[in-house]
Amino acid sequence: MQAAIGISTAQDHLKAAKEAVEKAKQDLNGKKIKFAFVFSTGEFCHPLVLETIADLIGPVQLLGASSTAIICNQGSLKQGLMVILFSLEESIYFNAACVKDIGANTALTSGEELGERLLYGCKNVRRNLSVIFSNTSAVYNSNFITGLQEKLGRSFPLVGASITAHKESCLYFGPEILHNAACGILWGGKLNFNLEIGHGWQPLGKPRYVTRSLGDIVNEIDGVPAANLYKEYFAKEIPELKKELKRLSVFYPLGLRISENNDYLLRSIVSIESDGSLVFRGEVPQGSYVRLMISSKEACLLSASNVAKTTLRNVGGKKIKFAFILNSLSRNILLGRQAIQEIKLIRDILGEDVPLSGIYTSAEQAPLNSINYLGKTYFHNNSIALLTIVD
Amino acid sequence: MSHLDKILLVVYILTTLPLAVILIYKISRLNQLMPKFNSVKKSLDDMDEQAKLIVRTDMELNKIQEALDKKITGLYALQRLSRIISMTLEEDQIFKRIQPEYLEDLGLERGCGFLWDDGHKQFALRFSIGYTEDEINAIKSFINNNQKQCLNFITSDKTLSSISGLNDLITAQQLNTIFKVISCIISPLLPQQNNRGLIFVGTQNPETVVTEGDEELIKILATQLGQALENARLFEKSWRAQQELEKKVIERTHELTVALEEVKKISDRKTNFVSSVSHELRTPLTSIKGYAAILLTGKLGDLPKDVRERLEKINRHSDELVHMVNELLDIARIESGRVIMRSEICGLQETASKVEDLLSGQLKERALYLNTGIAQDTNLVLADKIQLERVLINLISNAIKFTPAQGRITITSRKIDKMIRVDVSDTGCGIPEEAQEAIFEEFFRVDNAINQEVKGTGLGLSLVKHIVEAHGGKIWVKSKPESGTTFSFTLPAAE
Repeated sequence: MQAAIGISTAQDHLKAAKEAVEKAKQDLNGKKIKFAFVFSTGEFCHPLVLETIADLIGPVQLLGASSTAIICNQGSLKQGLMVILFSLEESIYFNAACVKDIGANTALTSGEELGERLLYGCKNVRRNLSVIFSNTSAVYNSNFITGLQEKLGRSFPLVGASITAHKESCLYFGPEILHNAACGILWGGKLNFNLEIGHGWQPLGKPRYVTRSLGDIVNEIDGVPAANLYKEYFAKEIPELKKELKRLSVFYPLGLRISENNDYLLRSIVSIESDGSLVFRGEVPQGSYVRLMISSKEACLLSASNVAKTTLRNVGGKKIKFAFILNSLSRNILLGRQAIQEIKLIRDILGEDVPLSGIYTSAEQAPLNSINYLGKTYFHNNSIALLTIVD
Repeated sequence: MSHLDKILLVVYILTTLPLAVILIYKISRLNQLMPKFNSVKKSLDDMDEQAKLIVRTDMELNKIQEALDKKITGLYALQRLSRIISMTLEEDQIFKRIQPEYLEDLGLERGCGFLWDDGHKQFALRFSIGYTEDEINAIKSFINNNQKQCLNFITSDKTLSSISGLNDLITAQQLNTIFKVISCIISPLLPQQNNRGLIFVGTQNPETVVTEGDEELIKILATQLGQALENARLFEKSWRAQQELEKKVIERTHELTVALEEVKKISDRKTNFVSSVSHELRTPLTSIKGYAAILLTGKLGDLPKDVRERLEKINRHSDELVHMVNELLDIARIESGRVIMRSEICGLQETASKVEDLLSGQLKERALYLNTGIAQDTNLVLADKIQLERVLINLISNAIKFTPAQGRITITSRKIDKMIRVDVSDTGCGIPEEAQEAIFEEFFRVDNAINQEVKGTGLGLSLVKHIVEAHGGKIWVKSKPESGTTFSFTLPAAE
């Protein structure tokens, strides 16, 4: 397998599309293009950009997404277009598909539908990995993933990126720009990869018991309105907490203890309801123990460094052909001016010659890692996921 | 109580008794553990209280850090923007260089700038970021419909913002509907000048509303923009002046070239005229002199004394006239380039000695001393030997003519770069300052008593000047009345 990355920051969108494709094609050295990923910042979210790319790369499957910034070997670009062209051996199979108009009540069936579509042509091959992009709030209630895994099975890892449901955050599938949708790719055959995820937040204070919750809404913790937890910790009333919502969401998520290991899944707050309920970006099961989590720039960078080091250890000297980063937007906010350091750390650990790409996400779906995969995909917040494809 | 009931009671007591014992033991154990439990619970609560303190402090620190980050990012953006706008001296380029990323670094996504057009009496749009054409046209209309308020605001030289208040310049509703932002900063540009203006920046994002720090940064940016504009205008002005000057220089150069051509033509005509006239004069002069000489020989008969005296006068004057005509012819030839100066190695000392011999009679007659101080290393020059002799004869003859008896004439030389400078000095009557420039002109003679007594053509120094210049040298004079005169000339040194 070979992945060739072309990036352009040209102001003219069509010129940028041409530049990015030409650069990627040049790197691919005339090898046959099997499929393409397209990642960009919001400015390039235009059908003409996709049409131009499609014209230049020919009739191959194309998928991707736009986000606040794109990640590449140079760091993160606040304005840019990235085209990744893949050339695959015959022993590697893949299929890409999408589903549109996902509603809160149809998340499960939409997941099943995407699973069905992804399986088309791949039913009789060993499935390895699926990568899913979504930009709908309904997706992050785990029903969509449940539906998807119902069809795809749980024997292989699923990596997903939820991008903000914002007009400038869109999904790319073929020549189409999608909103409130999901698209993904299913890989099968002889594909070697590694997946690591980490966050860098630490628990603080005593564990609290979720006494009443439904999906991503937590009504009561320790028998009192859930918002009391934040009221107590920050000595602020609900109106003040609402003003600080973004800061609370980024810096102080709740940690959900995972029984399999000693780690915590993070849940950042989306909104504070007037009755004191808290809405989180992801499900918080009733009866679970939660703790307030805290981090720092150093801890955040350390976790990224650990993710890269573990990846390097796991691939065991094999050449990394392509690295893909799903990085939470919250980390970008927390790191501020040091956000670029996180990418540089990973690049330096993996090696400067490893083609690096990625996007910023609002939530990430992934198992805790691919080595000890137990068929369970978790919904993460504030995390950095590193997917590497190796020789 | 039946037998069965008794049995059941015994069984009940036997089974419940151990349980009761266990229960009592457990309660007793629980009572024993309760202080420990309470202690652990208290520790946990204490830890939680500490956690609260930690998160509150952490939150405050994060806020400070964020504010610092924002300020640093803003300062970086300002520094980059200032550098980039100061690198151009074109007014249009200054505004074109304000790119969206600089505003984004300040946490703002919309902005525009206007300059007052005094000719059209309206504000002209100079840059716009984050607005569609319709939106910016609406803003332009608003600004021009409120010209008076805007001009007053610019004159006030005060930066306004959503925090400090917009002083009724823009209402909250107008800010939202026309400027499409929820918070903004507006700052004057060049308030003291005619071509003044304003910049407006703002954001729609409630999370990045402008702060006092932003207001300060935009104020600095407006000042820097103003300075860049002022520099551009000054450059434009000086460039135009330079262009004007260059145009005038070209025109004047052309005029001078035309005049020079005219002078050259006149000079050529004069040279040709002098040459023709001299030739025409020389033929009859030769005849006059020839006939006078024949008559003086007495071959045509004895001459009475009076006739002989007159004939001798005719002969002498003819000689002087021939000498003058020859000098005029030489000047004309040199001027027209018809005479090629030979470049040969000549010894100054040798030439000066030869001239001294030639003029020894005059020197002796006038009781003058001629000293030659020519050193060995400044002796050799590249010149036409005959012409060099003529130069020295003319200069020394001149010195003899104007130096009173017992006077001194000195010839010295020195090397300056690749030239040898020769000074011919005398202790004569000197030349008045006003005449010094003209003495190299043809037929010019200084108005003094000596010149009135001694005859001269007024061509000698002119001929000397032509000869020296034809060798690539220069000639000049330094003199003070009654203190003597020094003629200096240069010739190429023979290496």
